Amino acid sequence: MSNTLRPYLAAVRSTLTAAMCLENFGSQIVERHNKPEVEARSSKEVLLTPVIISRNENEQVLIEGSINSLRISIRIKQSDDIERILCHKFTRFLMMRAENFVILRRKPVPGYDISFLVTNFHTEQMYKHKLVDFIVVFMEEVDKEISEMKLSLNARARIVAETYLLQFS
Amino acid sequence: MAAVESHQILIGTPITSHSFNRDRTELAISPNSNEVNIMQKQGSSWNVIHTLADHDKLVTCVDWAPNTNRIVTCAQDRNAYVWTWAPETQSWTPTLVLLRINRAATHVRWSPKEDKFAVASGARLISVCYFEQENDWWVSKHLKKPIRSTVLSVDWHPENILLAAGSSDMKARVFSGFIKGIDAKASSEVWGQKLPFGTVCGEFPAGGWVHSVAFSPSGNAIAYCAHDSTVTIATGPTQPIYVIQTNTLPFVSLFWASEFAIVVAGHDCAPYMVLNNGSQWQLTPKIDNGKKKEVSGNSAFNKFKQMDTRAQQNTDVELNSTHQNTITCVRPFVGTPDRVTHFSSTGVDGQLVIWDLLSAGIANLRL
Repeated sequence: MSNTLRPYLAAVRSTLTAAMCLENFGSQIVERHNKPEVEARSSKEVLLTPVIISRNENEQVLIEGSINSLRISIRIKQSDDIERILCHKFTRFLMMRAENFVILRRKPVPGYDISFLVTNFHTEQMYKHKLVDFIVVFMEEVDKEISEMKLSLNARARIVAETYLLQFS
Repeated sequence: MAAVESHQILIGTPITSHSFNRDRTELAISPNSNEVNIMQKQGSSWNVIHTLADHDKLVTCVDWAPNTNRIVTCAQDRNAYVWTWAPETQSWTPTLVLLRINRAATHVRWSPKEDKFAVASGARLISVCYFEQENDWWVSKHLKKPIRSTVLSVDWHPENILLAAGSSDMKARVFSGFIKGIDAKASSEVWGQKLPFGTVCGEFPAGGWVHSVAFSPSGNAIAYCAHDSTVTIATGPTQPIYVIQTNTLPFVSLFWASEFAIVVAGHDCAPYMVLNNGSQWQLTPKIDNGKKKEVSGNSAFNKFKQMDTRAQQNTDVELNSTHQNTITCVRPFVGTPDRVTHFSSTGVDGQLVIWDLLSAGIANLRL
């Protein structure tokens, strides 16, 4: 199972390195405006072909690039109801604080759990290779976080149940 | 090859564009803002001596004409200004240019004779501007067909007539920029006989947005680099193009160092060369020795301390190259157009680096 993780992350890393070649691009449609073209989607020629990297049908990454911006959407593995709820609450917690995150998008792209938007202004202020490192580490860590939360949830549920039922024994 | 000098001109701010004056004592840069800084070399560092602040939005390109000592700047506010040095007031005075474009200007270049300049814009056209004596301002003529998207860069032919343009509709084109009254006869053996203003002498395809174009020193060929990490050389409208596929990140800037050598640089943060060894063009390994890593005594101690306090596995944030981020502009620094010996590069990391082409042992190429 985990022997697909390394090639999956390597593919994501190399695609992100290539897609993060961004430059400042004034809008062609509205004068004096400068918008992330991947969000505005107004001129087709400045958009790149979207790439989906799948580990299996439950874990996918969609990378949409353009001349001045990049959108990365991640579908996190959620195998049962508990994990679905935990993932939803976790990503909602992050997305409500998207301003502090800088590159996080407030709403995920439909069909995915969390989305990042990187623009040329971000790559001017931050190192591109560190941004890529951040996203790849985030993908690794979010699975671990959700499993940890699920384990601690189950442990607490067991302790609560034991303590309650103790009074009847 | 060694970088001869590197200067951290700006900290944390990209240098969008740079241009030197004729004797390389002064430098005009656009520090990713509405202003243009004129810097002078004082000792071993560059200090700002003037600030040109007439634009309202990001200044996308500056070009300094070496012989007439005029600077042209263009910005995303749809304007361009020509600045002339006024010795009486010891300042640069702007002259408005009537570009008549309704989108951002992206690139500007003086022609070789410095009597006209071309401005590439997001309005899907190129403005070729010349000075009108009667009204004392610069007027423009538009090159529109068949451009379908933002023009990203322009370059002039050495004979002052033809203009190459790279655009985000994935094509590189050669136009005629002949202006009646300014230019004499317009014709070229390679590119076409009759060349009235606006003739498309050649249209060449690319696999991605064409970031930069340049004419060779003789004017018989153009080179362009595109977003699909290729460098293409075209020698005339009817000849087949020569495409060099590279496995590097895309290049965004290039110039010809001689008839057989092209210097390219871009998102890989280091310059490369494309050399013609007689029959084919090839990409050389990157011409950058890289930073020497200083190994201090307690680096092992620091490494484990980082792992303990910050859970950071590797502390290496710096890249192993002189530039730490994309190189956005490379220009010849010393030498004639057909034998460039030094070139300058600026990038998103705010550094200006002067490179020496001869010390790399590129003596085996036919210069």
